[in-house]
Amino acid sequence: MESPVCRWVRSVLPAYLDGELKATTAAAIRRHLKRCPACAARARLLADSWRLLDECEVPPVRAGFTGRMMERVAWEKAHGSLGRSLSARGRVRRILTAAAGIAAGLVVGFGLYASSGYHSEPSSPVEREVSRSLTFLEDVDLLDEIAVVQAIDQVLAEKDGPSEGT
Amino acid sequence: MAKAIAATARTYEGAGLRAETTDFDVGLMLAFQRGDESAFRGLVERNHARVIGLVYRFVGSMSEAEDLAQEVFLRVYRARQTYRPTAKFSTWLFRITANVSLNALRAHSSRRDDVSIDRLAEWSEKPQTPADTDGKTPEHRLQRTELQDKVQEAIRALPEKQQIAVVLNKYEGMGYAAIAKTLGCSTMAVKSLLARARENLKDHLLLYIRTGRDRLRIS
Repeated sequence: MESPVCRWVRSVLPAYLDGELKATTAAAIRRHLKRCPACAARARLLADSWRLLDECEVPPVRAGFTGRMMERVAWEKAHGSLGRSLSARGRVRRILTAAAGIAAGLVVGFGLYASSGYHSEPSSPVEREVSRSLTFLEDVDLLDEIAVVQAIDQVLAEKDGPSEGT
Repeated sequence: MAKAIAATARTYEGAGLRAETTDFDVGLMLAFQRGDESAFRGLVERNHARVIGLVYRFVGSMSEAEDLAQEVFLRVYRARQTYRPTAKFSTWLFRITANVSLNALRAHSSRRDDVSIDRLAEWSEKPQTPADTDGKTPEHRLQRTELQDKVQEAIRALPEKQQIAVVLNKYEGMGYAAIAKTLGCSTMAVKSLLARARENLKDHLLLYIRTGRDRLRIS
């Protein structure tokens, strides 16, 4: 049956082999390994298997990687997938602005819809024209709401410092 | 550029962040953050070999390693505004590299056999000049390739965090504290990861420990 000392030594053998133990602890383990053939054999197995990892060499890297990388960056930029990175505050601000605009549009649209008495799909040309006008009015109101939100945003940005991407 | 880097580092220190001022790559990253694209090119030039090598340890194919290394640097590019110089640049870079590598492994978990074939093809394409062979026979080279594949297989059979810990410790020479920073865990957790990893590797490579070295010894 394994002694408590051997159990403890085996648990810290990897750290000992990596040189991560304090000098006094490492010295105690060295003394134990000299006296305990079983633990010494285990230490050798761990060290040998670790050394086998040296067999995995990395093939030479193909020349010109940096040039290819910069070409990739240029391509990604041209396709809009390398936009200016936003800070967390910038992202939150953008999301809140969009959410406020959508909410304002919904409120205005519902209000217009409810007040107009217009509750069904337009069937006649006149009704279709009215529907298009109402949609335009909704957009105008939506634009006004976004303008208000953006004005508040501008004040906040001036208060906080340089804008971070909105 | 050195003055600009030092000035930027002082800005971070003034904001209460412990800035890594001795790492040249940190300086390049800060310059890139301020809009200097040539600094990004410098970062790629200085670090691409290590990144490709690290990815290769996970995926076992150089062509895939180069593709994934590009993905790593694209993530660096996109994340430039959120970067904070509170540790060595390599710690942050290796965290991204490990994530990209492991995502690739998860997405292509059935590619292990293909990777072995890729590895054999890559090694067989090495030029066979007298200087390269160094007296080794074709049989010896084949045995060596078999051993390399076995070692790669043993590493990739490890659970993900053990894989990362092994690759960073063994091939990047990172200590437990540095690995802990990269993985975002405690030093004790890294110690435990590596202990279990080494036991697993020992069990997986037992046959090769006892016979591999003898078979590869040059007579």
